[in-house]
Amino acid sequence: MRKTMMVALLGAVSAPPLHAQSMRTVTMSRQIEDRNEVQVDVEYGVGRFSVRPVGEGLLYRMNLSYDEDRFEPVAEYSSHRLDVGVRSLRRTHLGGSRQSGELQLELGRGVPMDLDLEFGAVHAEIDLGGLTLTDLDLSTGASESVIEISEPNPEVIESASFEVGAADFTLHDLGNLNAQRIEVDAGVGSLKLWLDGDWRRDSRLTIDMGLGALELHVPEGLGIQLRKDSFFTALDSEGLVKRGDNYESLDWNDAEHQVTIDLDAAFGSVKVIWIR
Amino acid sequence: MLQRPLPRAALLLGLAAFLTPLAAKAQEREVVSKQVSVSRSEATLDLEFSDDTALEISLRDGLVMIDGDNVGSYQPGGELDAAWRELLGRAVSLEDGPLSEALADWRAPADLAGSLAEVAQRIDQTLETSLHDMEVQVDASDGAVSISIGNQSSLLGALLGSAERIGLLPDALADLGPDVRLHLDEDVDIGEDEVVSGSLVVIDGDVVVEGEVRGSVVVIGGSIDMPEGSQIDGAVRLADARVVRNDGTVRGGVVQVESRPSAPVRPTPPARPDVQRLRDEIREEVRQEARNAARQRDDRGSGLMTPFRAVGRAAGGLVENAFTILILGLIGAAAVVFAGEKVDVIAETARRSPGRAAMVGLAGTFLLLPAWVLGFVALVVSIIGIPVALAWLPLFPLAAALAGIVGYLAVARNTGEWLADSHYPWTGWIRKSNPLITMIGGLVGLMALFVLANVLTVVPFVGFVRGLVLAAGSVLTFVVIQIGFGSVLLTRAGRRREYWSTYDADEAWAAAMNADAGPGDEEARAPETGGEESADA
Repeated sequence: MRKTMMVALLGAVSAPPLHAQSMRTVTMSRQIEDRNEVQVDVEYGVGRFSVRPVGEGLLYRMNLSYDEDRFEPVAEYSSHRLDVGVRSLRRTHLGGSRQSGELQLELGRGVPMDLDLEFGAVHAEIDLGGLTLTDLDLSTGASESVIEISEPNPEVIESASFEVGAADFTLHDLGNLNAQRIEVDAGVGSLKLWLDGDWRRDSRLTIDMGLGALELHVPEGLGIQLRKDSFFTALDSEGLVKRGDNYESLDWNDAEHQVTIDLDAAFGSVKVIWIR
Repeated sequence: MLQRPLPRAALLLGLAAFLTPLAAKAQEREVVSKQVSVSRSEATLDLEFSDDTALEISLRDGLVMIDGDNVGSYQPGGELDAAWRELLGRAVSLEDGPLSEALADWRAPADLAGSLAEVAQRIDQTLETSLHDMEVQVDASDGAVSISIGNQSSLLGALLGSAERIGLLPDALADLGPDVRLHLDEDVDIGEDEVVSGSLVVIDGDVVVEGEVRGSVVVIGGSIDMPEGSQIDGAVRLADARVVRNDGTVRGGVVQVESRPSAPVRPTPPARPDVQRLRDEIREEVRQEARNAARQRDDRGSGLMTPFRAVGRAAGGLVENAFTILILGLIGAAAVVFAGEKVDVIAETARRSPGRAAMVGLAGTFLLLPAWVLGFVALVVSIIGIPVALAWLPLFPLAAALAGIVGYLAVARNTGEWLADSHYPWTGWIRKSNPLITMIGGLVGLMALFVLANVLTVVPFVGFVRGLVLAAGSVLTFVVIQIGFGSVLLTRAGRRREYWSTYDADEAWAAAMNADAGPGDEEARAPETGGEESADA
């Protein structure tokens, strides 16, 4: 996809300005200044959105295509704080929708990052593998999002949070996040959490779901304990045994790593699927 | 590249030609940040260097801007525009060293003419000078030239942009000899005991000569101060410069170097470095203010996420409504199970006399606080009442809240019965035979306006309507609570019947037998019609 974007950018910059479009393409990049932690805030509204790691040397590289009549790019770096994305020029941006934009963001490996991702109605493909994350907050509105942590995070995250509005949200390799606590707050939609990856510590996963379907994909060998506090929520707890008020995997007590899942769901269904 | 001569550093090579054979070496400056922005009307390059300086070159709407200053015009879609966009197209995929090299190597299209050629040359020179850290090394086989550069980027940028000054150079630097000290963009102080063996050239700097200069002194774009006791064996040549004081000895005299008529004239000479710096500072402040304003605007909720947060808020609000109904339903279930008859009495009172109950409830609400305070005071004045007073403080508000909730639930039950009788298609699930279901149905009905308001959250442009619905829901809830609370007060928490509605076969029979009786028998007919019966009578 990056190649496609690059070709589009090259085409855009090379072509004479004869089209009656208001799309603007911007590419931005910044070298790594030092190895101190950087607070990275990313905000993006509508379109396609991707995040992936980039090689050594760059703090970030961003390829952005947007409607310049409606948005303006944001790329501010100061005092180890990086703000990137687009910002709306108007108070409302409903109606009159034209060609949607695209943001491709590459973040540097090896730089400790406190990452805050906020995006709206987007098709998001995010791979945080290889990044050095010290904190992670992800917030999305009505999106179709696939989040992947393809490589283990070398830093320990005390608390990672995912706030999902009305979305089709999939999170892969959650174990690679290396987080002590993971909070998922979902409003409405489909939520698929893959608890695979390289678990390096016991962890607590808190899921607060309003209305929707939750799938928990659990690798064999990972001990999970499900504490369910729900209203009209159906639970398909295949492979779990009920002990007291909790559901536990058969090898809960013997598992190398244990994940405690606190589930607070109002309406919907919860399904536990074992990865064999 | 790091050691290559500067083919386009016209000024230094020009100086070299005037002074002595020298080799100028250069290396690319470190580009820490790059931004390439392209649209149909604009092609802009922003660079930020490691020394916190920045460069912005923009071709926008027919104007060529360098660091915010208009330096000329171009034809959109023309040759210069195309060449510039082609350069930016390559810059997109390059970083740091290769990026600097590509930009510095850029050549303006050769077939441009007139002012367009000058503008292109200006861009070319700006890129060249901005992207190089100048390190001038001297190879003076028959003399000695030392060159000291202060702020290289701003100096060369300013100097190269000043064709007028370049035009002055031949005369200003003529016949200086091989031994020259050159200072660029820095002030020079020749101390009282200092002797400069050759000539001294100061460009964009102020010089104070207190000692001795055995050659000439050339000042371009600055000033010279010669206090008493100073000595200059050659001449003082001033090009775009001035004399602060001339109390010393100048053997060759002071010469003003004028520009040659053939010197090319640039359309917009750049500002002096200090003025440019001031401009940059002001520009940065304005940008910062704009950013702050934008941040504040976003903080007020105009960010991109606003419509999508609305979906989450709506979903959250609906879930909240559902939980409220659930909790109230549970309380209602407990009330029905443990005090069903009392709830019946309260509900009957609310149904029969809602106006009276509402007035009593309103009065009771206003009297709650005085009653609470007076009750506490009355209990505290007696020793035996003090322990009770301690319990009074928390229990009275609790009891009042409970009365409001139970009253609300009683009204909800009435509402549920009404909905069950209404034959709406969506009320079929409400069964009057089940008081709990009836009550939950009523709660749904009473909270329908809040549910509607939450649904309207996701609909754009109906904020006012949503506000009205919300206000109507609040008013309805307030009225219902007042009716319910009043009913609780009237019935003494359901312990005293305000109305008689239970079917009594004997009384019904008696009423039927006296149906034709005179007005004096009205009392006997009252039970049949469910008329009011005072419990105190």
